[in-house]
Amino acid sequence: MGNPCLLDLILAPGALTVLFQPILEYSEGWWRLYALECLVRGPKGTNVEAANLLFEYSRRKRAESLVDRACVAAILNEASRLPLTENLCINVHASTLGRDANFPAYLTQMAGQHAIPLSRITIEIVEHTPYWDQPVFFNALCELRKAGVKIALDDFGFGQSNYRMVIDCWPEKLKLDRYIVKGCHADACRQAIIESVMLFAGRRGAQVIAEGVETPAELETLMSLGVTLIQGYLFFQPLSRSELLESVQKGATHFTLAANHLDMLGRRNLNES
Amino acid sequence: MVDRILVIDDEEPILFAIKEYFMTHGYEVDCASEFEEAEALLANIQYSVVIADLRLTGINGAEGIELVAFVRERCPRTQIIILTAYGSPEIEEEAMGRGVDAFLRKPIPLPQLAQIVFALDESRPR
Repeated sequence: MGNPCLLDLILAPGALTVLFQPILEYSEGWWRLYALECLVRGPKGTNVEAANLLFEYSRRKRAESLVDRACVAAILNEASRLPLTENLCINVHASTLGRDANFPAYLTQMAGQHAIPLSRITIEIVEHTPYWDQPVFFNALCELRKAGVKIALDDFGFGQSNYRMVIDCWPEKLKLDRYIVKGCHADACRQAIIESVMLFAGRRGAQVIAEGVETPAELETLMSLGVTLIQGYLFFQPLSRSELLESVQKGATHFTLAANHLDMLGRRNLNES
Repeated sequence: MVDRILVIDDEEPILFAIKEYFMTHGYEVDCASEFEEAEALLANIQYSVVIADLRLTGINGAEGIELVAFVRERCPRTQIIILTAYGSPEIEEEAMGRGVDAFLRKPIPLPQLAQIVFALDESRPR
């Protein structure tokens, strides 16, 4: 007999692990917790425990919608147990929005079930295939926006997350792909790209979030280019609910780790002033 | 770096036996029982050798051969062994034509399989 289908294991209740990676905002000398990106890991001990394998498998199985729904359920359940009110960023495949016409209703229902206002949710659109059903996709965006959900483009500047997607989705947030961020301090080309995205976002009233920030030099460069929303291992790796709470308690509302990195940059630690 | 092998079969005892055997010979071994699971692994991990059953549950025909095209396109330096209990000369010819490095009949003693894996691993382009 064959093994149980891996997809069944993924969709089983309690199979997915949720982690939270803080996104910090720098404003007027202060760092504050701006949002939490909600990340999902597959069933422990399987080949799809790592997120990249979990979603690669889901796409190859053409089960993005099923898996995205399971992720939403797991994320909202875990987030509802956090005594925080920051925004929650949730990754959803474009193909889910384009094929699963009931996804907005499902998200609304699950958020209601966990008493999480939809205005706290940002959907980060992950795009790998350009051939989704456009009317269904656009309708989903409209329904989500009407309900108060914000839209972000994940991995912006990489693959299908491109200017065409910006035109189609009019996102409120652009998440700079880590490929653009990595080594930006030493690369004039990367800096020019970041500058152009900032200019464009400013004109559109969109916010730019830099993902994958790992070094003080990258942070300094990003800040000098006007990027104030920062996510990455420099500050925080993805944290479990209890680790996140511990960090929040340790750092009060102004994250001490972030402040320490400002010290590393030779800036005045305004959190202590 | 330890060489890594991917074994694809829908029979748990076969996966277990091959994995245990090659791990004792110093290989890192991943196992997959579905076509899509194997594809996801191959898209993210570089393998020295792939040992694939010709037929997996739930799909008619010879998806092991379908996988060959995927491996050849994405991982040209990976060696591919097809294992089958159903192989006809026609299928073997097709498999070899698509770039399979060895086409073997089940059952095959593990030491014999190992000799072939070692030889292929040794000869693969680095």
